[in-house]
Amino acid sequence: MSLLVGSFTMGLILSLLALGVLVSFRILAFRDLTVDGSIALGGAVAATLLVAGWNPWLATAAACLAGALAGTVTGVLATRFQINGLLAGILVMTALYSVNLRVMGKSNLPLMKEQTIITMAQRFAASDARWSFSRWEVPVQDVAIVAMISLLIGLVAVTMYAFFRTNLGLAMRASGDNEQMIRALGVEVGWMTTFGLALSNGLVALAGALLVQYQGFADVQMGIGMVVWGFASVIIGESLVGSRQIGLLLVGAVMGSILFRLLVAIALRWGLNPNDLKLVTALFVFAALVLPGAIAIVRKHFAQRSSPLAS
Amino acid sequence: MLDIQQIAKTFHAGTPNEVRALRGVDLKIEPGSFVILIGTNGSGKSTLLNAVAGSFLVDTGRLKLNGREITRWPEHRRAQFIGRVFQNPFTGTAPSMTIAENLALAAKRGRTRGLGWALSSSTKNDLRERIRAMGLGLEDRLDNAIGSLSGGQRQSLTLLMAGLLKPDLLLLDEHTAALDPKSADQVIRLTEEFIRRDRLTTLMVTHSMHQAAHLGDRLIMMVRGRVHHDFQGAEKRRLTPENLLARFEEVRRADQLDETAAEMLGRQYV
Repeated sequence: MSLLVGSFTMGLILSLLALGVLVSFRILAFRDLTVDGSIALGGAVAATLLVAGWNPWLATAAACLAGALAGTVTGVLATRFQINGLLAGILVMTALYSVNLRVMGKSNLPLMKEQTIITMAQRFAASDARWSFSRWEVPVQDVAIVAMISLLIGLVAVTMYAFFRTNLGLAMRASGDNEQMIRALGVEVGWMTTFGLALSNGLVALAGALLVQYQGFADVQMGIGMVVWGFASVIIGESLVGSRQIGLLLVGAVMGSILFRLLVAIALRWGLNPNDLKLVTALFVFAALVLPGAIAIVRKHFAQRSSPLAS
Repeated sequence: MLDIQQIAKTFHAGTPNEVRALRGVDLKIEPGSFVILIGTNGSGKSTLLNAVAGSFLVDTGRLKLNGREITRWPEHRRAQFIGRVFQNPFTGTAPSMTIAENLALAAKRGRTRGLGWALSSSTKNDLRERIRAMGLGLEDRLDNAIGSLSGGQRQSLTLLMAGLLKPDLLLLDEHTAALDPKSADQVIRLTEEFIRRDRLTTLMVTHSMHQAAHLGDRLIMMVRGRVHHDFQGAEKRRLTPENLLARFEEVRRADQLDETAAEMLGRQYV
């Protein structure tokens, strides 16, 4: 049961990653690979500041800003210097690896007795308190963590929903949907893309900051494969809500992230070798990208065969 | 109003694909006039329109709008004065956004976009009335994605969007060419209505001799990147589609003559 709660919490934290990826991939239609670097950057900045004795909320906010800065750099490379978007992301992601090492001073930074957002949540309950549901027992502290993070993510999602309904947010969505149209309506798409990437990577870094506080250490390698992870969550989310409406997309990304994490936990429980996890994730995304088209073809094929005219 | 001075544009300069699309165009457009732009394929009529809109910057020459020098202005900056409808009905609207959202985007054309609600209930009511006035029956579908509409409906909405904030200049780039005849008629009817009602200064490119003869109060015929003839006043009013076709035929003959003459001279002197 605690494995399940743990996976759920992880999924919840990584839903911020999914929301970030949703902004770049879906809303801006920008394939942004900065994510792998910016999630680790968020973790590195948060961990370093926490060790330095910063207030956890301030440290988390600073991590978020650092991610936004990384996104801005990618945006500037792509729009001002006209570098291909994929390449711009790869450049920044690569550079961030060194930046993260510089920030932390070493490749792994544990959080020992530092106060974090997680420890603050835990203090709402006694350490030995248990809630039991029929056969299951859950430490109340774990529930407090889930509640705290849910609250935070709810806040982020509602803010995003509101933002995407303002004049500025509408212009950002239109930049990804029809560039020529929005330019003819007076919006500079390059600036809008840069701003969107800052927002996206800020969210990703926020995920990194929370992840580090939850797992109790920052690692320079923690970002590897995260962009694919985020993409998988977004795809699952879309199929769950079956809509391109902005509110449902946001809810979908959160649900997708949690569901994906739970699926992974179950697969690991059934004996999936953790080393194969990234391979399986990549295969999963591949299948999710290709299957809808393949299913349509198969359906058409069978529809033709079963129709009386064809026989 | 719009003052085009000796503008020229060459695409892919210095390569085998070099195209001299505009070769020194001079044109002055008075406020409130409705100018039709026609020409053969590759005559530079759409290029001229795009040069005014700012899709690219011209190589030489100057552009002035309302006394402002806009020659080096990027496209998005010119948008504060210019409303546009494109040839492709899909170019003018954001498909995955709703009708209301698209209109809300147009309601802020060229203005600062802040954190105010894009669709407050009063804005939405205003927009609904504007759509109702068009008589397309779309006023009850404000929350549908625009991608679910037909090309004709989308083009009508693009037209509404271009004129939502009264533009100093309306640019129409063969905006009915991709539509079926019925939708095209409807879009033309709306176009005339909007232009007359708001006295919009308009520059319209068209392929249709019928539209060219019957719409507008001035007609510019372009050939090979230059203004070939400028029909104004009574001369424009007397034009028929047949006259225009005859004019095009003349141009075509003159072109052929030019080429054979050049060839002959080449043989003699080279």
